[in-house]
Amino acid sequence: MSDRPVIGQRLKEFQQSEIERILGACTQCGKCFEVCPMAQYSKAPAADGKAVVPGVLAVLRGEAGSPEALGWIGVCTRSGVCVPACPENVDPKMMMRLARMTALGGRELPKQIDVKQDPDYFNRVRAFAKLQLTDDELKEWT
Amino acid sequence: MTSGSPVTFWYGCNVLRHGDIIHSCLDILRALGYDPSPVGGPDYCCGTVKDANQTTAGGMATRTVGRLNQRAAPVIAWCPSCHSHMHDFMEKGNDRQFDMTYLVDLLHASRDKLAPLLVHLVPMRVMLHKHIGFNELVPVNRMVPELLSMIPGVEVVDGDYLAPGYMCASFAILPKALDDIHANTVRAAKASGADAVVTTFHQCYREIVGLDAAGATAVYNYIQLLARSMGLPYEDEYKAWKRAGDGATQLIGAERIAKVGIEFYERAVLPELKKRPNLSK
Repeated sequence: MSDRPVIGQRLKEFQQSEIERILGACTQCGKCFEVCPMAQYSKAPAADGKAVVPGVLAVLRGEAGSPEALGWIGVCTRSGVCVPACPENVDPKMMMRLARMTALGGRELPKQIDVKQDPDYFNRVRAFAKLQLTDDELKEWT
Repeated sequence: MTSGSPVTFWYGCNVLRHGDIIHSCLDILRALGYDPSPVGGPDYCCGTVKDANQTTAGGMATRTVGRLNQRAAPVIAWCPSCHSHMHDFMEKGNDRQFDMTYLVDLLHASRDKLAPLLVHLVPMRVMLHKHIGFNELVPVNRMVPELLSMIPGVEVVDGDYLAPGYMCASFAILPKALDDIHANTVRAAKASGADAVVTTFHQCYREIVGLDAAGATAVYNYIQLLARSMGLPYEDEYKAWKRAGDGATQLIGAERIAKVGIEFYERAVLPELKKRPNLSK
């Protein structure tokens, strides 16, 4: 067995501990959803946060999320107004971030939402760098 | 040769579209008594764009924290995504061995040194393009207007619009929400009597400058106005290219385009420069 550390292992352990904390603390009151300015853009809008949050927690547990939960997860852009709205200090922004990572398949669990990836993302950054910086700057700054 | 205090200026990835912003930040830091070493681009990525692959994201975070540790200097972050990702995730999985601050925080704390450098008149009534997020980490919606107010000639007016999210680039995959941001930004600028909209983040500048190209409102980044008042010479080429659309090819020139490759330029760069906001609402 190799002694080499697993890539990103500590980060994954932190994420797992946060998930366990969130699952233990959230009372599913739905306040986070109710104050969210992005909920209106969900593909599966819902009227009641109490009906949406259980689906988010299901995603965190590695289970299938409801359409309403996945729709909300897909539009989270980290406004953060959910954080002070939460009566249990759950940190719903972290909850949604971890749910998004999970639903995208990022935590080695089945993918549940599909967000369009930009295959040229880093190459476009490199291209603009070549257009904007000198060769010396490219060598020393990037 | 400089005798300033060494710092690492961690500028991020996508601000590489805006060489004038990077160069201006470096000159401003030097004028404030720092000796900044700029680092960024994909090799210093924080990993926040890799939500769909946490093994990759974790590897990127470990690599970047390790490289910043090796530099053994305080880090000044430019990018709000990098800065928040460091606080939220990167430092939780890695041993951060450097002090870190955000550029707006540093500039705001250095107002006594910055004020005498702002000598050129910039006659302009500006409205800050604000988002809800990120302010719990750095109160940019309060600090940036206070910085802008120090510029001779600048009048900061309050807009009545606070965009969701923490920056505009997140909305590239949410076109209806981005259309709303564009429409509300133009409406708020007009209602407040602003001559121009000013962004805090480059991710917003990249999107909102399309409003300038479309003739809806003038758009700047706050660093560009500080730089102008300091007499710094850097040209905003991205805005010129964006305004030119197809004509960007001529402005950029064959020699620079050859560095990128004409096929990639036409497929992945030019469409971004030609893209205009949907203002049909």
